[in-house]
Amino acid sequence: MTAPEVTSAPSPEAETWAEREPGSIRSVLHGLRRHPLGVAGGLLLLLIIAFCFLGPLFHPTNQTDVDLLNAALPPGSGHPLGTDGNGFDVLGRLMSGGQVSLRIGLLAALFATTIGTVYGAVAGLAGGVVDGFMMRLVDVMLSIPFLFFVLILSARFHADALSLSLVIGGFSWLVSARLVRGEVLTLRVREFVLAAKLMGASRRRTILTHLIPNALGVIIVNITFQVADAVLVVAALGFLGFGLTYPTADWGSQLASGVTYISADYWWLIYPVGGCIVLTVLALNLLADALRDAVGRRADR
Amino acid sequence: MTWYVLRRLAVSLLVLLGISAVVFLMLHLVSDSPGRVVLGQRASPEAVADFNREHGFDRPVVAQYVGYLGRLLQGDLGRSYKLNEDVGTLLARNAGRSAMVSLAGLVLALLIAVPLGILQAVRRNSVVDRVATAASYVLYATPSFLLGLLLIAVFSQTIPIFPAEASQSHSPWVVFTDPRAMALPVITLAVTSIAVFAQYQRSAALDQLGQDYIRVARAKGLPERLILTRHLLRNACLPLVMLVGTLVPTLLAGNLIVESLFNYPGLGLLFLNSLQREDYPVLLAYTLIGGVLTVAGNFVADVVVAAADRRIELGA
Amino acid sequence: MSTADGSANTDGGRLLTIRDLSVEIRRGDRIVRPVRGVSLALDRGETLGIVGETGSGKSMTGLAIMGMLPAGGRITAGSIDLDGRELVGLPAARYRAIRGNDVAMVFQDSMTALNPTKRIGEQVAEPVRLHRGASKREARARAEEMLALVGLPRPAERLDDFPHQLSGGMRQRVMIAMALVCEPRLVIADEPTTALDVTVQAEILDLLDDLRSRLGMSMILVTHDMGVIARHADRVGVMYAGRVAETGPTSELFARTRHRYTQALLSSIPSLTQDRGEELFSIPGAPPDLTVVRAGCPFAPRCAGATDRCRAELPPPVTEAGGHVHACWHPAEGPAARTRARLVVPAPAGSEPTGSGPTASEPTGSRPTASELAGSGSTASGPRLRVVDLRREHPAGGAGLFGGRRTVKAVSGVSFEVAAGETFGLVGESGCGKSSLGRMLVALDRPTSGEVIFDGEPVTRMSARALGPRRTELQMMFQDSNASLDPRMRIGAILREPLAIQGVGTRAQRTARARELLRDVGLPASVLERYPHELSGGQRQRVGLARALALDPKVLVADEPVSALDVSIRSQVLNLMRRVQLERGLSSVVISHDLAVVRYLADRVGVMYLGKLVETGTTDEVYGSAAHPYTAGLLAAIPEADPGAPRAPAAARVRGEPPSPVDPPSGCRFRTRCALATALCGQEEPPLTPVTGTHHVACHHPLGREESRS
Repeated sequence: MTAPEVTSAPSPEAETWAEREPGSIRSVLHGLRRHPLGVAGGLLLLLIIAFCFLGPLFHPTNQTDVDLLNAALPPGSGHPLGTDGNGFDVLGRLMSGGQVSLRIGLLAALFATTIGTVYGAVAGLAGGVVDGFMMRLVDVMLSIPFLFFVLILSARFHADALSLSLVIGGFSWLVSARLVRGEVLTLRVREFVLAAKLMGASRRRTILTHLIPNALGVIIVNITFQVADAVLVVAALGFLGFGLTYPTADWGSQLASGVTYISADYWWLIYPVGGCIVLTVLALNLLADALRDAVGRRADR
Repeated sequence: MTWYVLRRLAVSLLVLLGISAVVFLMLHLVSDSPGRVVLGQRASPEAVADFNREHGFDRPVVAQYVGYLGRLLQGDLGRSYKLNEDVGTLLARNAGRSAMVSLAGLVLALLIAVPLGILQAVRRNSVVDRVATAASYVLYATPSFLLGLLLIAVFSQTIPIFPAEASQSHSPWVVFTDPRAMALPVITLAVTSIAVFAQYQRSAALDQLGQDYIRVARAKGLPERLILTRHLLRNACLPLVMLVGTLVPTLLAGNLIVESLFNYPGLGLLFLNSLQREDYPVLLAYTLIGGVLTVAGNFVADVVVAAADRRIELGA
Repeated sequence: MSTADGSANTDGGRLLTIRDLSVEIRRGDRIVRPVRGVSLALDRGETLGIVGETGSGKSMTGLAIMGMLPAGGRITAGSIDLDGRELVGLPAARYRAIRGNDVAMVFQDSMTALNPTKRIGEQVAEPVRLHRGASKREARARAEEMLALVGLPRPAERLDDFPHQLSGGMRQRVMIAMALVCEPRLVIADEPTTALDVTVQAEILDLLDDLRSRLGMSMILVTHDMGVIARHADRVGVMYAGRVAETGPTSELFARTRHRYTQALLSSIPSLTQDRGEELFSIPGAPPDLTVVRAGCPFAPRCAGATDRCRAELPPPVTEAGGHVHACWHPAEGPAARTRARLVVPAPAGSEPTGSGPTASEPTGSRPTASELAGSGSTASGPRLRVVDLRREHPAGGAGLFGGRRTVKAVSGVSFEVAAGETFGLVGESGCGKSSLGRMLVALDRPTSGEVIFDGEPVTRMSARALGPRRTELQMMFQDSNASLDPRMRIGAILREPLAIQGVGTRAQRTARARELLRDVGLPASVLERYPHELSGGQRQRVGLARALALDPKVLVADEPVSALDVSIRSQVLNLMRRVQLERGLSSVVISHDLAVVRYLADRVGVMYLGKLVETGTTDEVYGSAAHPYTAGLLAAIPEADPGAPRAPAAARVRGEPPSPVDPPSGCRFRTRCALATALCGQEEPPLTPVTGTHHVACHHPLGREESRS
């Protein structure tokens, strides 16, 4: 019996395999490095978060009292981006609106992913009739135009940040549930899971040491996409006038109030806030795509 | 194939039943009592109770649902509280206009996105591909109302070639009779979808380009153009067909926003106005119709794909 | 097919000349050089076999001739001369006129190589319309003619079928019809039968041979299988690391092997005639990285006869008599003499709990000496593993809301026993139910009926809780080490896992045990810190074996343990498995479609066909005097890596493809493919009946001793 040497460099075969299905966090980071756009997205996101949450420290403004004397001022001293129709400083309002939008986005995404993950995992692990029933239910829910429902809910009950995140999350967990179920189903019959079963591993142990770590990548990618989508939904609700209750303003309602002045050519009421929404969603999607590539699996949206 | 269609049809009917139940129950939970809505906030509780009893709104929710379902099967969508009009007639009056603008947007989007996506896949990593991908990212991140606003700012204010408001004509053929007034709403709808469709088409085409049968076609000596039209196109479009089938709710949402932005009197605007009026029979009916359209979209997509790729019916 | 004689054809007979061909492929910032200075030649009407392992550049050479290198690939040097026409640098439009017309290609996997949404008639007709300008109707007629020629039954009706409606073998025939429809002068067959079962492979290769001579074509047969080359090629090119190690007429090359790599490769293939007491020759290490340019002979790092010169200077091609060319500084003389190490069972290792290894390795089928090893506390005299009338049916896909439930009869009443220390081999073609059976043996799957009795206890009926502790004694080695090792765990954690689950020892003790296990399977301790994807296929398979051994199982089930590995790596793992079996007195069940692998590892063999055991016996009985026509057909279908090996008469071949396990034939399930079938076979199912004491066969007309293969 000849002992083979372990070459210090991975063999060519091993390398192509690593490209196909990288496993460890290390290789995810390595993969991310090949995605300069993803890194740019991540940095941009950090910048936006810093702008919204740290910005007010450097540019404190009054966002509660209406000041009609200084309404709709063009950009100038004291108001770098002018003021809106109620006399609120636009730059300051961007920051506070961003805080709300991001918070709702993140909360809704966490909420949706948590429900979706648990639901999908239960369905995938249970299999059989239970799985069939649970997934038919998801089919039904997915066929209901969810924006309609959110609109009806927020028209009926005055929404605050928390309830809005719950509502959005409560309707967007369906996709995550499908995703996680699919992942669990494929992982469940993977040979390393069977091997663990052969060693006498309990269900709990298999789930904790094999299923969760391997599904985690997909779940994290999904959260990132969900945040982006939730930010868009919040903006749409705000724009349609069914967002947060005045005077709290997210980016969408801010944009909606700018529309009133569109013929007046008050550009500072539209472009800055529009830019904020686009950049935030763009940053999140770039990051999510890069993560998805790095995780090495196609997480369908 | 017949069996497959029948099976899918049965599943669709089951899903429809589920949708009607879920939508009815959820709206029941959410809405104020009909008597309160109809008679207004000033009405006495007794009057409200009388109204509800008279119209059967005090019965258990399941009984109300069964009753509603029964009327639904006879084509009765209920009566609007506020407009005192049959909901079916109300919706029918607006449906044509909404359908037309949405379909026009969808068709335009597909006409551009399918060739673009395939071109991107074939010329992967070329300048065209990179520019189109970058544009898709930005467009995907742009909410449709923002895009609409930008289009208004550019094409109706800076260079005034299109009006900022959509045509108010009640003809469903307004897209063709007054194309200038409908240009901005249709473009807004199309551009938002193009971003999604082109990227999807690109990755589907890339998947297919990596398949062996493409290599085989090359080994036969087929020129690239024929490889694309004879072998790639059909296989690469099937995933997009599936996607469009599942995207009906998104299209409806887009329709809502665009109708609101361009003040286009269709179903979307009707929904928003009913929302403000708390006109639940209308909201309920339109939400249900949305569900029906979604199920229909999925069904049609499944059948089309199964007809094009005969392996599907075996695996389903 | 006539084996090539040394008499070189005149230059007028030459169809294809490849000179100093080099290819590089740019992938991002890496440059791979899969083909480096390859020179090969092919005469009219001849078959050139290009043989090599994964990454040897054999397929890329074929693609270069087709002018179809993958994206980023280009020919950097050399020439490809097809009948006086230079193909390198030919403009795209003119190359297209040649492809599919003068040069055609048959690809490996016909499932993905046929367009799933186009009818096969159209696909076959396409080249005719393109190159011959034929009308739709003419092309269709030609397609029908061609499909008849490749042996597709009722071709006129099948023209409108879609690829998924055909079986694998039929699809491959369609693939061939598509390639040959324009009667090309050269057809390149790239692993044309690798995805097929051995009986189907034999038919397809014979078909290719037949068509080649009937249509007067030349063929390049690209394969990893030396046996296929020996049987079907007139001339051979052996490739290693992008270079031609050796090329020449087939008989000449096999009889007077010159290159050390060819010699080592031939020696490491387990054959059907080899002495089973002998250890397989194995080549150490793994093939080199093709992104690095190294001085010297590419095989030098793995070559037993390498000298300093081999490591420093690239050996030039040397032409010998008869057109035999080799590139080796120290050429060998003829085939490797089969005087290699006998398998020696080492003295019982003190560290092993079950370490008293058997010394005799020639079990006789009745309870071998190893039976004394039957674990403590169990019925010492009974077999270790007993399978009683095991059945497994699962619903066939496609059963829907209204569709009646049809079932796949994966395993239909299989019984056998495995004694302590014995290795039982299960062979059969894909879909015969051997893998389903394997999963039931280790209780990964429950049978529909029947029992698996392990040490006197029926594991199939145990609850999960009762099964828990027994589990560890039944372990499995999987085929795909990619999939069977958790990609997110280091090898150390993977090897500690079974111990941790069973609560064996402290963490430090587990690590020590992991180190020990690695040493047992011939891997250094440094592997502990690696992730699975950092190891090569062979190394991962060793880790898989180590993990299966971690809990000292009494039974090891190995499902296709070496099928995913290249030949030179395969023998390393086979030797290791053989040694482990002997050292540990394990009972094992080896499942494989590869008869030679089973022959090498097993003491007794069971041959499965469509969910049933058709023949069992000791390895010598089954391989030496096969009694079932199916076994005999399987054996006849395997090409031996020796051009001089006698070829089984065509009558002994198994024809066609296995029927669907959803509706197996009545009576004897093999009768639809059997040359000896009679009316009785359709009415009555033959039971397993003894031929001799240990040899059983389920056949109404078992083969007599004199008819069977020598």
